[in-house]
Amino acid sequence: MFNELDPILHSQLRLAVMSILISVKEAEFTFLREKTNATAGNLSVQLNKLKDAGYVDIKKQFKDNYPQTLCTITPSGLTAFEKYVQDLQAYLKTGTP
Amino acid sequence: MNDKYSMSEQESLQLISSMIDKAKNSYHDRGTASILWGTVISICSLVTWAQIYFDHWLGFDIWMLTIAAIIPTVWLSIREKKLRKAKSYDQTAMDAVWMCFGMAIFLTVHASLAAGAAFASLKDTIEHAGMSRPAISFNEYSSSYMLTLYGIPTLVTAAIKNFKPMYIGGIICWLSAIISIYTPVDIDMLLMALSAITAWLIPGIILRSRSKSKTEAQHV
Repeated sequence: MFNELDPILHSQLRLAVMSILISVKEAEFTFLREKTNATAGNLSVQLNKLKDAGYVDIKKQFKDNYPQTLCTITPSGLTAFEKYVQDLQAYLKTGTP
Repeated sequence: MNDKYSMSEQESLQLISSMIDKAKNSYHDRGTASILWGTVISICSLVTWAQIYFDHWLGFDIWMLTIAAIIPTVWLSIREKKLRKAKSYDQTAMDAVWMCFGMAIFLTVHASLAAGAAFASLKDTIEHAGMSRPAISFNEYSSSYMLTLYGIPTLVTAAIKNFKPMYIGGIICWLSAIISIYTPVDIDMLLMALSAITAWLIPGIILRSRSKSKTEAQHV
């Protein structure tokens, strides 16, 4: 019996964002855009979905008079990511059903 | 990246690992602070050694150079923070360790100066009491404290970065700390220069050349 993969995470851009955020303490929006090669609009939409799911925290502030968006993974985001990887490994061990 | 595209499990794992790699390789230490402090401490130590050896004293304390070196260090740190678009756990830990090291050095120097003054006044009292003035100086031991401190952030950084040159440098700092307990101040200064060169200057130069080659590889 396989657990269904978390639909919030099983999307290319959202998974990419979460994979970056587990590796760093915090990342600027521009950093995520640069690493994922996503458009600002698409990234913004996907980040909001992750935020609504409670997987990321988004903090907006000003740095040198310019707006800055800082993203961090939340404890529930980390748990969800770990579970997603475990589920993936379970699929890969026994082959995709 | 297309969020509508349905990934296979294999593709998901590949994406996770490639993004983790990208995030980890996004920042490379250029070793500037290491080179700066390795150079400053080795110059101060070697000049102090030369002053003792040639019995020729400069009109100022060469160690004031360390205070001057704080200005470019702060500037470098602010500039790096501005340029950094992501904060890694490694960098956060290292920033904290080096910040604590800076405070520990400041407090140890302050305590050593106070202890040295108390030691000197004790020697005066002994001399006034008609006994021969003790030849021993507190400074002969203070370099051992400093070298012990030098080893701590160096070895922590080596462990976080898994960086062999800094492991070697940190061990040399602690070996020098042991040896300097039994050696006179001039030899202590040579040990301090050796420690600064191996713990910071050489690793800094290696980091710089690695960072250069990584940057060049990214632009090819």
